[in-house]
Amino acid sequence: MSTAVFAPSRLETRTRALLPWALLIVLALLPVAGLTANVIRLCFITFVWVTTSLGWNLLGGFTGQVSFGFAVFYGLGAYTAALMIDRGVNPYISFVAAGVIPALASFFIGLPTFRLRGPYFAIATIGVSEATRVIMNNLSITGGASGFRIMEHRPFRQVEHYYTALAMAALAVAASLLITHSKFGIALKAIKQDEDAAADLGVNPYAHKLAIHAVAAAFTGVAGGVFARYAAFIYPQGVFAFQTSVYILLMPVIGGIATVWGAVLGGVVFGVVEEQLVANFPQIHLLLYGALLILIILAEPEGLAGLLGKLFRRLRRPKRKNGDTHPGSREAEQVLRRAGRG
Amino acid sequence: MTPILEVEKLSRYFGGLAAVKDVSFAVQEQQIYGFIGPNGAGKTTLFSMIAGSLRASEGHIRSRGEDVTASPPFSRVKSGIARTHQIVRPFRAMTVLENVQVASHFGRRNITRTAAAREHAMQVLARVALDQRADTLSANISLGEQKRLELARALATDPELLLCDEICGGLSPTETNGMLDLLRQIRQAGTTVMYVEHDVKAIMAVCDRVMVLNYGQKLAEGSPHEIQNNPAVIEAYLGKAGGRKRGRSIA
Repeated sequence: MSTAVFAPSRLETRTRALLPWALLIVLALLPVAGLTANVIRLCFITFVWVTTSLGWNLLGGFTGQVSFGFAVFYGLGAYTAALMIDRGVNPYISFVAAGVIPALASFFIGLPTFRLRGPYFAIATIGVSEATRVIMNNLSITGGASGFRIMEHRPFRQVEHYYTALAMAALAVAASLLITHSKFGIALKAIKQDEDAAADLGVNPYAHKLAIHAVAAAFTGVAGGVFARYAAFIYPQGVFAFQTSVYILLMPVIGGIATVWGAVLGGVVFGVVEEQLVANFPQIHLLLYGALLILIILAEPEGLAGLLGKLFRRLRRPKRKNGDTHPGSREAEQVLRRAGRG
Repeated sequence: MTPILEVEKLSRYFGGLAAVKDVSFAVQEQQIYGFIGPNGAGKTTLFSMIAGSLRASEGHIRSRGEDVTASPPFSRVKSGIARTHQIVRPFRAMTVLENVQVASHFGRRNITRTAAAREHAMQVLARVALDQRADTLSANISLGEQKRLELARALATDPELLLCDEICGGLSPTETNGMLDLLRQIRQAGTTVMYVEHDVKAIMAVCDRVMVLNYGQKLAEGSPHEIQNNPAVIEAYLGKAGGRKRGRSIA
């Protein structure tokens, strides 16, 4: 948004459009470069988190509906995939189902809760999330609180998991970008700022919220499914935990709310940092994570993406001395022109 | 001919208080129909009910004969009714162009492609002389410009009936005149206008018909000239006429 003020040159625009592809190619080649299994696992987990982060961001970031209940979708996706794979269904078909089931569930949650606004919506999602966890803790076909072990009748190949997760994350990025630049996306943006004013312009806020909730739930669910297949063991206290909901919500907040690349960045930082904190400070990792979070939010409410954007702009500024219009001067020029007219 | 808007015995209660009570009127095609009345007379309440953002307690609203009393605001936009807000409500984190683009997408034109919607939005911005500000964040433009943005957004939905709520409120006399010219142009282009304003002069200058509301009820209706000389209206605005005040008229 703010970068548009700079009116980037054509070359810049083109380079910027190519960057995601370059990133994708590098990530696709990584396993060939002979990384250790541990690094590949870390990448895999990061892709899963990036996907959930992007999913939440669609509803929370773009549409402004802060949900504390995304563990429901993550868990439902995980259990859907787990049950199907365990019964011998092709894992990729299971992943599709892991998207569809949470999307359906999102309607049941959204139909009543989207009647509520602001904090009331957020509180309602906590209730739904906790209720689901309690039910799953007591459901016998999934093994209840003791969890569910997935027996897959296929050899375990880590690289396959890596590419599955990479493809999923790439798809989530592509879908998010498409949505932001569409008619649907601009309606979400309007709803976030003033849903009554949006309705006065012909937007149906309720229908839009339900629709984006379903898309967000689908991505989160697939991420849960992909994770479940890799982990081979899931339990309600893990995937349905309130903590999972909070993690999913915090990533886009850390990275930069309401921007696609901010959500991606948040997922990456969370994946890597959390991993390192757990490994090095097992007793106090949550405390450190919380402190880090407070620091980021205090220093830069627009998240890491906002911080990077500022640094980037500061670095470029001196280069724009001659010829090129400075954003400030263009603004000033407009004001002056207006003053002359009135 | 069926009137473009027919309001029949419309009432709205807030608790025991009737903000609007038993108001009936009809607006004919291509009129500029004005509403005046003291503070709290129910003008904005009436507008909100016609735009659909406030539910009517009693009565009916018909748009070209079709009953729309219960329909939500976004479907009223589809049936050709659009409104502006007295207190401006721009989408502050969006540019001026994007603000209007929402209306181009979701108004009666229902444009799907973003490029086409932006082009349409740009044309509408040119009509209200805001095209220079298209890429500025709507939070960063002046109040006068935000008022014109309200108008541009409503116009971009391609309405048959445009509800303007105090569109000149807070504007300088020059800006007010510009705005009234705009309303005349909009009517010229075939849109019917309903217009609420505190400034009686502004209403009298552009309206074909005027209704006076007082305590939520219809006090008088007629041409601006009739209204100006109506004793009941003068009393509502200036108090009971004593000997000294006799013969005064409003505006």
